[in-house]
Amino acid sequence: MDKKNISTQYWPWLPAAFALAGIIVFIFATFGPPASSSGFVSLIKGAVQTVAPNYVENNPHYATMPDTGSWLFAFVLGMAIGGFAAGRTGRIPVKDIPEIWEKRFGKSRIKRFAATFVGGFIILFASRLAGGCTLGLFISGSTQLAVSGLYFGVLIFAVAMVTARLVYGRTGKEE
Amino acid sequence: MGSEIWLGLFSGIAFGFVIQRIGASNADKMARAHLMIEGDIPKFMLMAVILSAIGLLGLEAAGVANTRVLPTSLVATGVAGILFGIGWGFCGYCPGTTWAAAGEGRMDAVFALIGGLAGAAVFAHLHEFLIPLLYDPFNVGQITLVDWTGSRPAAVVLLVFIFGLCIGAINFLWKEKNDGQTQ
Repeated sequence: MDKKNISTQYWPWLPAAFALAGIIVFIFATFGPPASSSGFVSLIKGAVQTVAPNYVENNPHYATMPDTGSWLFAFVLGMAIGGFAAGRTGRIPVKDIPEIWEKRFGKSRIKRFAATFVGGFIILFASRLAGGCTLGLFISGSTQLAVSGLYFGVLIFAVAMVTARLVYGRTGKEE
Repeated sequence: MGSEIWLGLFSGIAFGFVIQRIGASNADKMARAHLMIEGDIPKFMLMAVILSAIGLLGLEAAGVANTRVLPTSLVATGVAGILFGIGWGFCGYCPGTTWAAAGEGRMDAVFALIGGLAGAAVFAHLHEFLIPLLYDPFNVGQITLVDWTGSRPAAVVLLVFIFGLCIGAINFLWKEKNDGQTQ
């Protein structure tokens, strides 16, 4: 009984994939390739240029990106609103520390928050080096049949799977 | 300008809603996907790409597609993929999901988001030095599968075939544990 309730809190993957693909195709028709790591750059650019406009003007990375008054920033802001709306209308439990992390590393919030800060730093640093993230490079790229997206996709999945095994060790197997 | 922002906001809300409902904004689900316990998220991602590629083919036929293919840099794209995989496997978030998860109220995602802003700022600062070093010398251009297959529909068929095989492999190799410890 309990098990069934938990699994039905999530959408089945196939209809969800149709929904996401519909949104992605809509974005290609109305904007261009969807991206989310660019939204981070837009937000940083918008913030930094209020205090150091010269620095932003002369930086080649910010030159390639619009500031917060853009589709790219509106999109990531929208994702937060969408996550909020879905969280409030659904029954998926929200936790500050994932269950599997708690089993492996305990209840320390400081430890988890420090870990996600470091993880977030690495994924954005890497995304900006490649020019995109899971969405902007792997999903958008592969949809456009780009070799860059497929190459990046193979690496991120393979390395993430190895990393998760190293991080969680036996915790994953005991589940 | 104005309509672009509303379109971005609307697209983001829809996107964030769907990825929350599949569980991609839940770092626990993401870790279980990486550990080969639950296959729903990777199957969802691969299937979304298959359907989007077919849809994009339609948009192109209708002449309304806006495409921009990112170049492949053998070293920069490769190093970035490895680094990204480490970060993703370690914290269970990717850039897009941090926003949805933060909106959902997950505090660890808020820290991932702040860390991400710091990472983007540090990269921007080092761009001048890193791009000529790692990206430009190994840039082989905006290559796509079409360069090999010769035609766009044939390349889509090839992509559908490869991704379809991956979904099959996940079905076969990811072991769903139905012994009562779903969460």
